[in-house]
Amino acid sequence: MKIENTKAQMRKGVLEYCILSILQHGDAYTSEILSQLKDAKLLVVEGTVYPLLTRLKNAGLLEYRWEESTSGPPRKYYDLTETGRLFLNELNSTWSELVEAVNLVTNKKSTEK
Amino acid sequence: MNKTININLGGIFFHIDELAYQKLKHYLDAIRRSLSDDPQGRDEILNDIELRIGELLSDRIKNERQVINEADIDEITKIMGKPEDYLVDEELFEDQQINKQSSSSKKLFRDSEDKFLGGVCAGLAHYFGIDALWVRILWLVLVFSFGTGILIYAILWILIPVAETTAEKLQMKGEPVNISNIERKIREEFQDVSSRVKDGVNSATEKVKNPEFKRNVENRAKSGIQEIIETLGKILSAIFNIFGKFIGALLIFIAAITLIALIFGAFSWGSIEMLGFGDDYVHYPPFFFDSVIPSWLLVAFTFLAVGIPFFVLFMLGLKILSNNVKSFSSTTKLSLLGVWIIALLGLGFAGINFATQKAYDGVHNQTEDILLTPIDTLRIKMVGDENLSNRKELRRNYGYESVYDGDIQKLYSTRVFVDIKTTDKENAFVKIRKESEGNNRLTANKDAEAIEYQFNLNDKNLLLNGYFLSNFHNKFKDQSVDITIYLPVNSIIYLDNSTRSFLNDVDNIQNIHDRDMPKNYYKMTENGLECLDCNETIFGDDYKEKNGSFNLKLDENGLKIKVNDNNNNAEVNIDETGITID
Repeated sequence: MKIENTKAQMRKGVLEYCILSILQHGDAYTSEILSQLKDAKLLVVEGTVYPLLTRLKNAGLLEYRWEESTSGPPRKYYDLTETGRLFLNELNSTWSELVEAVNLVTNKKSTEK
Repeated sequence: MNKTININLGGIFFHIDELAYQKLKHYLDAIRRSLSDDPQGRDEILNDIELRIGELLSDRIKNERQVINEADIDEITKIMGKPEDYLVDEELFEDQQINKQSSSSKKLFRDSEDKFLGGVCAGLAHYFGIDALWVRILWLVLVFSFGTGILIYAILWILIPVAETTAEKLQMKGEPVNISNIERKIREEFQDVSSRVKDGVNSATEKVKNPEFKRNVENRAKSGIQEIIETLGKILSAIFNIFGKFIGALLIFIAAITLIALIFGAFSWGSIEMLGFGDDYVHYPPFFFDSVIPSWLLVAFTFLAVGIPFFVLFMLGLKILSNNVKSFSSTTKLSLLGVWIIALLGLGFAGINFATQKAYDGVHNQTEDILLTPIDTLRIKMVGDENLSNRKELRRNYGYESVYDGDIQKLYSTRVFVDIKTTDKENAFVKIRKESEGNNRLTANKDAEAIEYQFNLNDKNLLLNGYFLSNFHNKFKDQSVDITIYLPVNSIIYLDNSTRSFLNDVDNIQNIHDRDMPKNYYKMTENGLECLDCNETIFGDDYKEKNGSFNLKLDENGLKIKVNDNNNNAEVNIDETGITID
């Protein structure tokens, strides 16, 4: 078992949640989403994001529009849909539960020692 | 120094050098393939990726004239990730993905790591779970059987994609379909089912009084039965899978052999035609000559009409073997179908055309007198022309030869039938009847008339040609020449040995078979010819019975006379011992 694979799996699991979270403060175009994820060190390679965005859009959680750009070709701006917002709320609570649970387990172990 | 290529990536214009272009193209193709499980989203995702790569590249370029090189592309792939990084866990989106099963099954790829040529053999070996050596040996055997292997290899090389990414390599090497795997699967399933049933029974004995639980147990048992049925279904589908592969391989094999045979056939036809020696050795189907369609087109039609279905079979076989094989676009399919239909129509047209050529029988009759004094013996001979035919012996047969009369190619045939009949008239005469087939009565008659046949009378010899010449294109019109020699009663003839194979049911009193008649003298009577000097052994059985027989033999042992008349036998011997009479 490679440590890289496990790490990648962990990251992938929270990636959608993070993408949706980035968009809850307003729309963003792909490169912005990417740079935010990269800054947070959530992303090693960019490739992972594109299929995710398309799937989320196909699932009705995201929508996009084309916007002209001053420097170069038009850009794709993503935004949350109403379902996306509900979905994100759900994920928010799941996430805090998860964090608590993980904290509980890991802290317990350390105190036992 | 490298060539550069202009590309449009996500709406931005780039100069890119050729190697870098190849690299980028490979990268995008690999991504496309790794996303192939999701055809609807794929194009959109690729668009986004191109857009992003365009963006990244334009950040790296300082001025418009700068060319993108390999290092730039390497940098981009580092940022974007390997093709398999684009795969998304299916479980996350399960509700949208209903028909997603194939990702775990094995796929046919070419193996670029273990290859001599294109890695086809190694790929096949991975696919069937055997050692590549065996596939290579089989391939070599095929190469030596008329180069079959080379063609199959080329086709497979084109159709099977190479395994580029790690994911593809894993798919290529997936678990082999073999008995032990099937067995393991069955055992797993069965254990699962039996443990479930056991659980159900155990808990049932504990709480059997509880009616609510009873219902629960029934449900569990039911689900157990469902499990068994599902397991059976899985076993069956595994078996069908293996059978399917077998049938697929068989289809490929049969179709490939047929195609190769066809190609060889077409080529050898072409070379024979070009070298010009085909006429004597090769008998083409009849419509090659009589058709309004040129013969090369007919060959092409035949090739296509037979070849296309087998090609489709070949593709079908490949498809059964692997769902990974590239398939044709619908345009290609439709044009194949179109070409096939045209070829069939062409052949049908040629066939009908040929049939009409033979629809009518035509006849041309010609009569000539022979000046013959009654006491003369007429010697009848058949003659050939050594300048025309290569055959040593002149005899009737149903074949034909192509010969050159001057510069003109002609049909040389020995279908000549000779009959001898009696006539009331004072003079002997010869009647010549020429026959031919044609697409209407008139042309049939004309073709019959055009048959070149001659005979000569010199001294007392009637020299009949043992052959006739005709237009070469009339090869299949069943042409023939019937000669009837009419003789007044009491004329005497001698049949030369050359007439042996040409005589056709000649009436004679002694019932002698046509083949035995030559080399003897005959006299014409009202009932047909009568042999004057024949050995009685050649007389027909009917005649022997009616007229008895007489045999006289004189040699160094003496004289022997045998008489057989209506079963009364008498024998007289005269030799050294004297005269004995039985």
